[in-house]
Amino acid sequence: MSARTAPLEERLPLPLLFFWRIFYWTYERTTIPYDLMVIAILAFVWLTPPDWLGDPTAHGMGWLGRLLGW
Amino acid sequence: MTRPAVCRPAIPSVGLQESTRTLHYIDGQMTFTGAVGAIFMFPLSAIIRICVVLRIHPNVLTFIGVCINLAAAWALGVGRFVLAGFIMVAANLFDFIDGKVAHQTGTASAFGGFWDSVMDRFSDLALFLGLVYLYASLQRADYVLITALAMTFTVLTSYARARAESLIDKCKVGFMERPERIVLFMIGAFTNRMAAVLWVILVLSVLTVAGRIYHTWRELEGRGVTA
Repeated sequence: MSARTAPLEERLPLPLLFFWRIFYWTYERTTIPYDLMVIAILAFVWLTPPDWLGDPTAHGMGWLGRLLGW
Repeated sequence: MTRPAVCRPAIPSVGLQESTRTLHYIDGQMTFTGAVGAIFMFPLSAIIRICVVLRIHPNVLTFIGVCINLAAAWALGVGRFVLAGFIMVAANLFDFIDGKVAHQTGTASAFGGFWDSVMDRFSDLALFLGLVYLYASLQRADYVLITALAMTFTVLTSYARARAESLIDKCKVGFMERPERIVLFMIGAFTNRMAAVLWVILVLSVLTVAGRIYHTWRELEGRGVTA
């Protein structure tokens, strides 16, 4: 298969491949990539200060603020 | 939880407990999400057995789940997030077990799969509408818009797959499917982080829809890599 006709993911450099895999997500549940994605999502949900997002029902700097003493 | 749209007249030979024993292991190691799933399967398999013994029809279980979800939508609408979280747990219990009960009682049918899918969409939209009402009553037009966008892409996620699978064999691409969305809703409700949850649902739903469109185009153009 020539470079021009190879699937896009085979031509991408590693850093871009990371983003490509997130966009074109084909991993099943209960796999390691799935677990990593879940951990990243939970970290975002729980650590992002509600004030940064303008959360209408929660206020303050949240758990990240508590962890860093803000 | 979507039931397979196939008619199975007999109880499958592999039971629920047998199948869950091996489901969550990768090369002999249990994953984090697999372990969580395995823990929750213990009480669920008991409830499934009770429903099987009582011969409750799975379509009735689906309908009960939707009705309970409407109560969760109301709780979200009035800003009682923790209550909404508990109601969502109860509602999705029914949603999860209906397919398993259908298999174990041999009542799985094409209509059951269709009914389940339609009711799932209704449940999803009800929860989002509860949040739209809440943010509108708080006069937060920005979050009304974010919720409406998340709701739109949630519908598109299901539609893209359903339409794609009328053209190609399979279109199981993208992270943000219904179970992920429901668990996120519960996490947002129990920990009062609904704004962050809505952002996650919105962004990942957009990516899922785009991924499905790309996958369908690639399959139809004959460059296929099976997903």
